[in-house]
Amino acid sequence: MKLTLPPGLSPQNFDAAVKALQGAVGADWVMTSDADRDAYADIYAPGPEDVWPASGAVAPHTVEEIQAVVKIANQYKLPLWTVARGKNLGYGTSAPRMPGCMVLDLGRMKTIHTLDAELGYCVIEPGVGFIDLYEEIQRRKLPLMMSVPGNGWGSVLGNALDHGIGYTPYGLHAKNLCGFEVVLGNGDLVRTGLGAMENNHAWNLFPFGYGPTWDLMFSQSNLGVVTKAGMWIMPEPETSLELNLDIPEAEDIGWVIDTLTPLKLGGIIDQSIFIPSWLGKMVIKGQRKDFWDKPGAIPEWRVKELLKQYKLGYWKVQIRVYGDENVNKAKAEVIKAAFRKHIATPMEEVWWRRGDPTNVMDTTLGVPSAIPLQMGDWVGGRAAHLGFSPVIPATGQQVLGQLKRSRKIISDHDVDFYASFTIGGRFCNNVNMLMYDRDNQAQVDNMKKLFNALIADAKANGYGEYRTHLGWMDPVMETYDFQNNALRRMTEKVKDALDPNGILSPGKQGIWPTAYASQRGKALA
Amino acid sequence: MKRALVLSALALTAVLSLSACDWLKPKNAEGGAGGAPAGGPPPLPPYQMRAQVNDADRLNPTSDGGALFSNHCGACHLAAGMGTNLLTARQVAAGNKQPVGLLADRKDLTADYVKAVVRNGKGAMPRQTRVDITDAELDKVAAYLGKGK
Repeated sequence: MKLTLPPGLSPQNFDAAVKALQGAVGADWVMTSDADRDAYADIYAPGPEDVWPASGAVAPHTVEEIQAVVKIANQYKLPLWTVARGKNLGYGTSAPRMPGCMVLDLGRMKTIHTLDAELGYCVIEPGVGFIDLYEEIQRRKLPLMMSVPGNGWGSVLGNALDHGIGYTPYGLHAKNLCGFEVVLGNGDLVRTGLGAMENNHAWNLFPFGYGPTWDLMFSQSNLGVVTKAGMWIMPEPETSLELNLDIPEAEDIGWVIDTLTPLKLGGIIDQSIFIPSWLGKMVIKGQRKDFWDKPGAIPEWRVKELLKQYKLGYWKVQIRVYGDENVNKAKAEVIKAAFRKHIATPMEEVWWRRGDPTNVMDTTLGVPSAIPLQMGDWVGGRAAHLGFSPVIPATGQQVLGQLKRSRKIISDHDVDFYASFTIGGRFCNNVNMLMYDRDNQAQVDNMKKLFNALIADAKANGYGEYRTHLGWMDPVMETYDFQNNALRRMTEKVKDALDPNGILSPGKQGIWPTAYASQRGKALA
Repeated sequence: MKRALVLSALALTAVLSLSACDWLKPKNAEGGAGGAPAGGPPPLPPYQMRAQVNDADRLNPTSDGGALFSNHCGACHLAAGMGTNLLTARQVAAGNKQPVGLLADRKDLTADYVKAVVRNGKGAMPRQTRVDITDAELDKVAAYLGKGK
């Protein structure tokens, strides 16, 4: 990819900034060839990759090097785009929101500073991947069980900071973060919470600070560069019991949610409960053309045939309880009794006991895996996906309402319906997976129209996305419009105060510094 | 027919991944209800630990190519990994009766081809940055995998 300069930066100043960065981190860790720019592009871009081009990437190894990079960025007005490991697949990968940003790649920062099984927490750097942390726990034989997302290839902190979700009792990853170390836009290094005290022992254990608590302002945020953070990890349970049930009809999701939410709120089920639709189970069985060889959405009659042939329900409920064996048995009886009121099919029960082997796809037992990404092969070609992800109150009525509306819109666009609801508490994250072939322009255009229609429909009905791709960060931020977008305006004041030159991730989640405010609304999908 | 081939490819992938058989025991051998029904697909293999590498200078790595491959490519290319599964399925779909999904077992890869795929991506595989794998690390990995002429 050819060089795209950031707004307002001359080629001479760009070259000077690159030389200065080379001096700060070493010439090999400043990557500005065309091939490097390609490597930092969004491989799943809905449309051409050069809508969101990086000018290059810089990869510091220490906090001091990050501070030096930020200082140089301020000096030359070179905007940075921070990524942890850059595996934010479906949301932009490692590509910047604003063209010409230099990617600040923290993938070399892989130190695990603390890994404490007694209190169940770690202090880690952004380059530590789920795989790295998992393997360290296994090597040290520590009784800890991680919570991992669908894509285990990414960064533990990066995923949590972008509000990623997993499927154990610790599935709300951002809630496990405790105590941040952050480089601000002016180069200052701060620690949040009790970490504001030098050598405080409870920094990563107590979730508040003395005074206002700032921690989560650094999540989905361009207000600082998180250089390390505390993360709570669940003590490994003695046993875990999985209860599996296929739910036959799409509309059954209403009673399923109304059955599960009280169990979740009442403490019978602790995990974040993942309920995928049937296509989630089909995508790893082969390619779409093996099951339906026409371009449009798979028709209802064929869906019914496939469900019968592969013995799938429309939804798959996979509940897991964790802890003492007798407690789990008692919980299972409560859960089974609740489901028996609606369905006669018995639940399949699968026990796991500490020391039992886990397999490569045991994500609900904290095993990181990239296998769910195999779904990319479903459509063939240079396959990609987007996730439309509104947050819905965890009641059957609200979930059914969203389901019916989004299903109709997706069907009207002749696209396969593939949804999941994850009950994380009083709400569900509803992820609608939209898969497409990037080389099929008509398909890409259709996906973009569909995505816009879904955002508009959700907003009109009182729902918003919890996370989105680069190309929709501004439109989705627009939907958060209470008092003429008061929250955005407040955040942008904070942004200008902490980062006067606006050099940290301008445009992230629709927050623009004054310095680059003219870029708002540009480079959309 | 094609569908059956693809499905059998995935089952085959699991079988090809077998290097030790102890995990073939049913999960619920000792007490507890449920478990995989008899005659179903073979159980999935356990998580594959990658080799640990601790090169102080990733621009001049001292680890060998096999360890670097395991560490940097192992998220997808060890037994039953995503890349292994897809490569196996692709070879079966192409009519290959003895697919070799594990890159480490391939005899036909050349070092240049490995480097090109790592940097340019291919199919479901994204391009790898020089932070993912440095040029020096990739040279060693390519030499390790490049058993072809």
